[in-house]
Amino acid sequence: MTLPIDSIQFLPRPLTDGSKFYVSRGPRPMLARDADSVYWMSRYVERSEHVARILLISGILLTDVGQLDEELVDEQWRSILTMLQVPGDVPGEGPLRERIALFMTFDEENPSSLVNCVSRARENARGVRETISQEMWECLNTLYWSLRGDDARSRFEESPDDFFRSVMTGSFLFQGLTDHTLAHDQRWMFTQLGKFLERTAVSARVIATKYDILSAAEPLETPIRNIHWMAVLRMCASIEAFRRQHIGDLDPILVAAFLTLEGNFPRSIRFSVSHAHEMLGRIRSETNPRSIEAGERILGQLKTQLDYAQAEDIVTAGIPAYLQKIQDAAAEAARAVQSAYFLH
Amino acid sequence: MFKQYDVDGLYDEMFVAPGEPRSHYAAVSKGLNMLGVGAFQRRRQMADVSFRNQGITFTVYGDQRGVEKIFPFDLVPRIVPANEWETIERGLVQRITALNLFCQDIYHEQRILRERVIPADLIYGAKMFRREMFGVNVPRNIYIHICGTDLIRNREGQYFVLEDNGRTPSGVSYVLENRAVMKRVFPGLFTTYRVRAIEDYPFNLLQCLRHVSPQAMDDPSIVVLSPGIYNSAYFEHSFLARQMGVELVEGRDLVVENNFVYMRTTAGLRRVDVIYRRVDDDFLDPLCFRSESVLGVPGLMNAYRVGNVALVNAVGTGVSDDKAVYPYVPAMIKFYLGQDAILPNVKTYLCAEEDDRKFVLENLDKLVVKATNESGGYGMIMGHQATREEREKFAELIKADPRNYIGQPIIELSQHPSFVDDHFEGRRVDLRPYILYGEKVIVMPGGLTRVALRKGSLVVNSSQGGGSKDTWVLEDEDAEEETPHA
Repeated sequence: MTLPIDSIQFLPRPLTDGSKFYVSRGPRPMLARDADSVYWMSRYVERSEHVARILLISGILLTDVGQLDEELVDEQWRSILTMLQVPGDVPGEGPLRERIALFMTFDEENPSSLVNCVSRARENARGVRETISQEMWECLNTLYWSLRGDDARSRFEESPDDFFRSVMTGSFLFQGLTDHTLAHDQRWMFTQLGKFLERTAVSARVIATKYDILSAAEPLETPIRNIHWMAVLRMCASIEAFRRQHIGDLDPILVAAFLTLEGNFPRSIRFSVSHAHEMLGRIRSETNPRSIEAGERILGQLKTQLDYAQAEDIVTAGIPAYLQKIQDAAAEAARAVQSAYFLH
Repeated sequence: MFKQYDVDGLYDEMFVAPGEPRSHYAAVSKGLNMLGVGAFQRRRQMADVSFRNQGITFTVYGDQRGVEKIFPFDLVPRIVPANEWETIERGLVQRITALNLFCQDIYHEQRILRERVIPADLIYGAKMFRREMFGVNVPRNIYIHICGTDLIRNREGQYFVLEDNGRTPSGVSYVLENRAVMKRVFPGLFTTYRVRAIEDYPFNLLQCLRHVSPQAMDDPSIVVLSPGIYNSAYFEHSFLARQMGVELVEGRDLVVENNFVYMRTTAGLRRVDVIYRRVDDDFLDPLCFRSESVLGVPGLMNAYRVGNVALVNAVGTGVSDDKAVYPYVPAMIKFYLGQDAILPNVKTYLCAEEDDRKFVLENLDKLVVKATNESGGYGMIMGHQATREEREKFAELIKADPRNYIGQPIIELSQHPSFVDDHFEGRRVDLRPYILYGEKVIVMPGGLTRVALRKGSLVVNSSQGGGSKDTWVLEDEDAEEETPHA
């Protein structure tokens, strides 16, 4: 039984007088608190995507390498906590692998768990709900309920991989909507700034952490080593782009240089820093055109350095030191943004 | 679906008698019967998921887990025929006009007190009377720009005004969202209705706000002031700001300098002209009212008093929706407008008056007693449903502070079919239409029909677990030139 779709008529109020109202509005102000919120909303969505991808790839990696020294397996899992800057140890009992997956997904006490990242993203979005698009809000809200809903646990247990993939898809969708349903004004620029600063920081930590573990372990056979460095590329969603440029065994320096210095690839650190810098420059020119903010200066210096660097520079400095400098600069820039724009 | 449905001797909005729908409900009743239980349940799930994913929620206080709840939505629309609405509309326009004149009078000449139409001590004893507003001229002399008036019907179907909400009435966002969801979930179920549109409410509200801007300009800076995301009505604050395209601010976003109000933006301070505040008087300005408030803006009242910013609704309107002042509204209408009230009040006993108090105490088991300044179904007792101890406790409260209580006969509210499990049962309803007072007075053709959660319950407040319905006001059939459907 189907009745005609348009059979209810919701009538517009008849115009009682002929007067028309029309006002063209000038550029809208951006509340400092709103800027703060959209920035963190975007950062947390980006972070949740990294967490989901790192968990997903870690699971697959361990299947791929097969029999491995138990200590190294445990260390691999623990390294996830280092990459995501989670202090302390994992609660609960049972195999470390399961504990970490649960801890990083559902734990309410763990600030970097998926549930917390997405909740904070949504909390921030809720505070600026009227200024982001309906589509963005619904997307984020749906993602939130997919983690908080009654069926979240059972979906996770049925297939952790699918679960992580769905979080990543949520982030992709959200970022696409951000680009295509929001005016590319200051508000959008703050979302981009947050996203690229987060990507810079997490990517740098992923490479550095993996490098530490692998170089400290017993020398690995080449196939195993390849698998590990492939995992690093996968954790940064960069395996295919890398393969277009390089074939053969994976050399740590080559991988680190690609993830750090590649110019046109949106997952690389150089690309991220360059975009964050551009956004900051545009925000500054809208708010205070005559002065350069500290954050813009820090990112500008870092960007220039990465623009002209080559793999040898990374070798000379050493991978950990080189990446540490990037992390420090990104953190310092984030603090400068905070004091320049959010704390009026 | 209506096989076991009983009207229970009440006024039923949909049925005259079992199996016999009122004429304006005939098509709905037929459509529902054709749809069947399974399909109806699927539609209901669709609606729930839609509400949840859109985040159309409200917050229940004192509930640790899952504080965010979906406002239960009841899919069967409440239908108000054109002729009934015509009376309601006239009655509401009359009422908001009188209430505004009353506020203006109370904070200026006080003619109504001097002529002893209303006892002066009743006004001065009102908790929401604001001495700070005495002699203050508010923009365009409008105090209550937005009013939500609660209407109920008795056993005979007669409409009464139960209360006026002239401070910061909420719920209008649910009215608009209910309609939107209804269109999505039931695009084809109900035929042959011509329902009046309500979608222009945000536009009318914006016009109303522009009208009171202290600066004469086309595009004054208007903001919605919210207590923040943990407030129960945050969804609505955000919704209205979005619909109007204005900034949603919290107290910490605003700052007062030299008696002007500014908001903090990424490019520094920017002046604010009109504040649609959804923060109670008490919390607006810690320098003037409650000093511990962190929701407000220090210095805001001074900026307001010198006329540099408009507050909507004005400060001090609570004096007009005090439940002990309510019985005098018909007298106000007579006094200011020289007219008889079109919509009657419910008979009310003021515990402050000796005879009334005696009557209330003697008849506690037959009355509903309410604290004069509470809302949301808090601080009240339904005498016939309360235990003996509860009644005795309430009697003590009344004796201790008689000014703070009123009694009213228990009205058997009209009921409307609600879907429960797999069939329909009657649930009591009320109706809250929204009135805007700006350049002209506009009554939204519709409103929030609130539904009691449990069978027999007379409490419809959302904070007490009630739900809501879409409310259809029908276009006048006589005014119609042609019938849209064969």
